[in-house]
This record gives sequence, C-alpha cells and structure tokens, in this order.
Amino acid sequence: METWLSWARGPFFWASLTFMFLGLARHVFVTVWEVVRATRRAGDKRIPHRKIAAVTLAWLLPFGKIKSRLAFGLTSLVFHIAIILVPLFLAGHVALWQRNTGLSWPAIPHLLADVLTVTAVLTAVCLVLQRAIAKDTRRLSRFQDYFLPLFIAVPFASGFLVMHPAWNPFPYEPTLLAHVISGNVLMILLPLTKLSHCVLLPGTQLVSELAWHWPPDAGSRVGIALGKEGEPV
Amino acid sequence: MTQHKYSYYVEEAALEVTDRPRKFLEAFAAVLEYGNYGIALDAYARLSAKCARCASSCQLYEATQNERDIPCHRSELLLRVYRRYFSRSGVMKARLFGGFELTDDYVELMAEEYYRCTACRRCKITCPLGIDHGLITHLARWLLAEVKVIPKALLVAVREQLDGVGNTSAIPIPALKDTCEFLEEELKEQTGVDIKFPFDVEGSNYVFFPAVSDFLLEADTLMGNAAVMHVTGGLWTIGTGNYDGINYGLFYSDRMMERIVNNLIGEVRRLNAKKILVGECGHATRSAWFVPTFGGRGAPPVVNCIQYAAQKLREGKLPLKRGKIIERVTYHDPCNIARAGRITEEPREILNAICEDFVEMTPNRTENYCCGGGGGTVSIDEIRKFRTGPMGKRKAEQIRTTGAEYVVAPCANCKKQLREVCEDNGLETVQVVGLHDLFLRVIDFGPSASVDANSRTADEGVEEAIQQTTEKEG
Ligand code: SF4
Ligand code: SF4
Repeated sequence: METWLSWARGPFFWASLTFMFLGLARHVFVTVWEVVRATRRAGDKRIPHRKIAAVTLAWLLPFGKIKSRLAFGLTSLVFHIAIILVPLFLAGHVALWQRNTGLSWPAIPHLLADVLTVTAVLTAVCLVLQRAIAKDTRRLSRFQDYFLPLFIAVPFASGFLVMHPAWNPFPYEPTLLAHVISGNVLMILLPLTKLSHCVLLPGTQLVSELAWHWPPDAGSRVGIALGKEGEPV
Repeated sequence: MTQHKYSYYVEEAALEVTDRPRKFLEAFAAVLEYGNYGIALDAYARLSAKCARCASSCQLYEATQNERDIPCHRSELLLRVYRRYFSRSGVMKARLFGGFELTDDYVELMAEEYYRCTACRRCKITCPLGIDHGLITHLARWLLAEVKVIPKALLVAVREQLDGVGNTSAIPIPALKDTCEFLEEELKEQTGVDIKFPFDVEGSNYVFFPAVSDFLLEADTLMGNAAVMHVTGGLWTIGTGNYDGINYGLFYSDRMMERIVNNLIGEVRRLNAKKILVGECGHATRSAWFVPTFGGRGAPPVVNCIQYAAQKLREGKLPLKRGKIIERVTYHDPCNIARAGRITEEPREILNAICEDFVEMTPNRTENYCCGGGGGTVSIDEIRKFRTGPMGKRKAEQIRTTGAEYVVAPCANCKKQLREVCEDNGLETVQVVGLHDLFLRVIDFGPSASVDANSRTADEGVEEAIQQTTEKEG
C-alpha cells in the first residue's frame, strides 16, 4: 500500500499533472493559432471584440444566465464553483504544494472547504439525476455526460473521508489512494474530454464569430477545387 | 419536373446525382481548406456540453417536442461527419474500430433536417459554449447544395438572378421603370408632391437595393422609401445594372452568395456611387454586411433604410405631421438584423415617434422569435403548413398577445411569412406592414402636401387627400 501510495502521489501525480498542463496548453495554443490564421484570412477583419468579450464574460460568470433553466442552471453553477475552489484552495493541498515546490497561496477555511466538498458531491449526483429526468437532456446525453460528473465526485467524496477519518467506514490508506488516483485520472481526462471547456470556453464566442468572417475568395476557390467554376447555376 | 422526395421540391437533376457521400466529403474538405468554418467545427466537435439549454430556446422544438428538433441534436448530424472524417482522433478511431460511415441515407437525413431549421440563431444566445447552430445549418446546406440538394424555389430564383434576367423575380428593366412611374403617380396623388424614383444617377450617395419582390408586392414600402429620401434630400438612385438586394446564397451556398454580393459592389462602382442602401429586408441587409468580406478595403459602406431614416429623424431632418398613427402597432424584429443586436433600437425610435400606441412583443430585440420563415424557407411554398404550423405557432401567439392591429416587419421575407402565419392561425384582422408604409402616412411634406396619418388604405388616403386639397384651396 505504501509503495502504491507513494507512486500515486509521486510519479503518477506529476505525470498526470504534466499531461493535463501540456494537453490544455495544446488546446489553447491550437485555438490561438487558428484564431490568428482565421483572422488573417478573413476578408472582413473588423471583429466586434467588445461585444464578444461581454458575452464571454457573461457566460464565465453566468449568474444572470441561469434563470432560464433555474434548477439545472443553479445546480450546475454551484457545482462549478465548488469543484474549482476546493482543489485549488484546500489548506491541505496548498500545504502539499508548499512542501514540494515552495509555492504558496491563501487557503479557504476548513469549514468552508467541507461544505463545498459535500456540495460538489451532492450537486454532481443531482446533475446526473436532473439530466436523466428531464426529457431534453436525456435525449441528448451520451455516456460521458453521465459518467463525468459522477467521476468528478469520486475525488471529492474520498477527499472528504480522508479529512474526516471518524466518519470513514473504509481504512485510511486505501481511501487516500482512491482519492489521489481518481484525482490524477481526472487531470488526464481534462484535456481529452468535453472537460476541456475549462480552458476553451473563453474562446468559443470569438471562434463562433470568426467562422462567419470568410476569406474573400473562399467560395470561388471551393468552386475551382470541385471543378465547378463557370458552371451555370 | 420535381418530385416529392423531400418536404420541398428539388430539380430532377438533384435526383440523378450518384456517389453523393464521396462528393459531399470532397466538398467538405474543400470548404475546410479554403474557408474559416474549421475553427468553429473543431471547437464544437470537442466541446458540446449536451446541456439542452438550446432546446428550450427553439420555437420549433417548443412546438413539436420532437427529438430531431433539438438544435444540438441537429448540429450533431454534421459534427459527427466532421469528427469522423476530418478530426485526427476520429479518423484513427474509425480505422481501429470502424463505426459511423457517411451513407446516402445519411445525406438524405441531413437534407431533411437542415431545412427544418430557419438558421435564426436564437439558440446560440442560450448556449453556454456559444455554439452557433445557425452557422452549422448554413454550412450543412452549402455542402448539400454541392451534391445538388437545393430547394427548387431557391435555386430557380438564384439562377434567374445570376444567369437570367438579373434579379430573383425576373423583372425586366422596362417593367421596373413602369412600376416606378406608377408609384410616382401614386405618390403624387397621395401626397401632392413630386417624388421621384431616380435611375442610374452617377455619383449618387446611395444605390438602393430592396428585395426586388417589393416592386411586385410592397408598393407602400417602396413609396415610403422614396418619400423618406425625398424629404431628407438624400441623393439616391436605383441602378439598372442591378436592383435586387435578395441573396439566397446566404441560405444555401457561399459560392452563390459571393457572386451576388460582388454584383452589388460592382453596381455601386459602375455608378461611381458611395454607399449601398438596403431596403426593408433582413437577409438582404445581412448579406450586404458581407460586402467588406468580399470588397476588401474601399468597399462601399452598407446602410439599411431604417438606419438611414432613424438618423435623419434624430437630426431633425424628417418632419412629421402632428397626428400620429392611432391604431395599436407592434414590431417584429427580423432575425437577420436583430439577432446580433445590430438594428434593434432604430425602428423603435421611429415607431415611438410616429405611433400613439406602440407595444412590444415579448421577448424582443436580440431574443426575438423568428417569424418562422427564416433561412429562405418562406420561399418554399410547399412547406407552408410546417412554417405556419409548428414553426410559426410561437410567433402567432406573440402577435395575438399584443392585441395589435398592425405588425410592422421591415423585411420582405418576414412580411410574407407573417401574413401567412396570421391567415393560418386565426389572426385575419391583423395587418402586416413595413415600417416605411407607416412612415409614408406621417411624413410632413410641407404646405403643398396632403394626407392624413390615419387614412386606412391607399384609396381612402387618396380620397381624403383630394378632399383636403379642395378644403385648402377653398
Ligand atoms: S437556429 Fe432557430 S430554428 Fe434553428 S435550431 Fe436554432 S432556434 Fe431553432
Ligand atoms: S446549449 Fe449548447 S452545449 Fe447545450 S445542448 Fe445546446 S448546443 Fe449543446
């Protein structure tokens, strides 16, 4: 168990973290590259940046947006807040970082962390239930749409049990191992699944706008490529 | 000859195309190479959250509750093709495990589904990821067009415009001039003023491009246009080289769209004129907004006639009579000018200035519901039941709730569709008109003019005009 744990917390953790960073960085890099290329090619280079920024911001902080689908929107919003705050600002995590890298930043109070952790687990389950119950979402859902929230809940649930051994029906070390491994796997999944929206979301509004900014001769070049130039309508 | 293969008619040639999946993919590859769609498809294919927020924003799904009408579900049809054939992971997955293949039946399915969406883009504003289903519909239709799946109504119009008489309604120049002369006489009778439709005036500030069908169907709108230009002293002209703002390329092919927009630019240059003035037409305006795309630097600026009028009103250059229009009026925001928030306030400024009782539909502006005939579907007469039924139901309810007598819709397509929506949904008393139709009733042409703001029909107006003139003379 010891060796497993030190492997999960050591090489596997660093490998997962590196994979996540590189994977997400690749997403960002490719997007920026494509944005630059598309803008260069566009005949109309006037992009309404301010409007796009406003819409992007409205969706990054979607407090005003949830009312149209209140239950689902609220669950989703709370879920997102919890799963972003806890891993980054849990005192235990901050301490680990400091010990290993010397970097440090403020942590959130223990009680808040506990509340948020439980919230993350509950909202994850709720999201899946709501998805399954509502007809519209059920119809669209793929396997990953059910799997991912539930999987995200695993490191939170196990982390909570690690922090509160008194309530933990399982032995400490396997719980910690489950926590670390699931956390690592999640990092690997981040760039590979729809979870990559964590870095891509800020760019999607711009991307949607750019797709309408065509190269001036795109149509005729497609015509030539297909051997249809000069063809009657 | 046409055949009932799809809900809409297509030409015989469309039914003879073989090997469609391969041709579809070839076109897709070319479009990705030369266009800018790849950037969006790539993002959408990776990101879709499947949260179904878009479902509740589409009027069609609201009405049918049919899975096929969920925007994200429809877009997935094309994204699946993209992922399988044009993303690295998709190609690899297919090689290893097989799975989805593009078949003729699948092309058929897309042909049906992408003409059930009006590309109104209402759903885009509710998608957290900004997925633009209107863009997907637009692109899918272009790809379908490359395997000749094009509604006949649209194809025939574009053929007439690019390879035929020169405009979508096939109106020859003499007929156009006759119509305008008739309108001038009509204007003289109604207003007592000599208002001209100037032709081929070189060096004009504005070349006017209405939906050419207005010359056949919307006399009041055109007279309103001319009247506004007259009182504001606008230097405008109609070019006999090209007088059609309609661009159905927007609805099915960027190749056609490019040619049609370039023709607008060409006409402005031929006349050595400065700007493009688009008539009351949503999609014509949106297409003309692509002028900078094709015209590069020095492309003529594009002004919609409502923007022009509102500007002049603000500057105090559009004198209005004291009596406002008393009937209840509501306003329909055409998707193509309102969705992105580009023209939403100008028409309201005008309506508030000229109407006693202007009421809003809800929701409105950028969140308006499509008339139900967007994306060119209004021209497809054989799907009227669909347009005015599930697609138009929401709009009919909106109109009914306002209790308005007049629905102002500054768009040739919206007007046709809304008239049919009203007819088919028990709203026969509602009149669908253009903004300039109402304008015409309230413009103050000065002492020589005569017409009452509340004259109901052209004929009544004429009668009253005569009466008033006699009174004045008396
Ligand atoms: S673009 Fe309009 S019609 Fe098409 S799916 Fe979206 S809301 Fe529905
Ligand atoms: S709102 Fe956007 S992410 Fe959600 S289901 Fe619709 S298209 Fe997909």
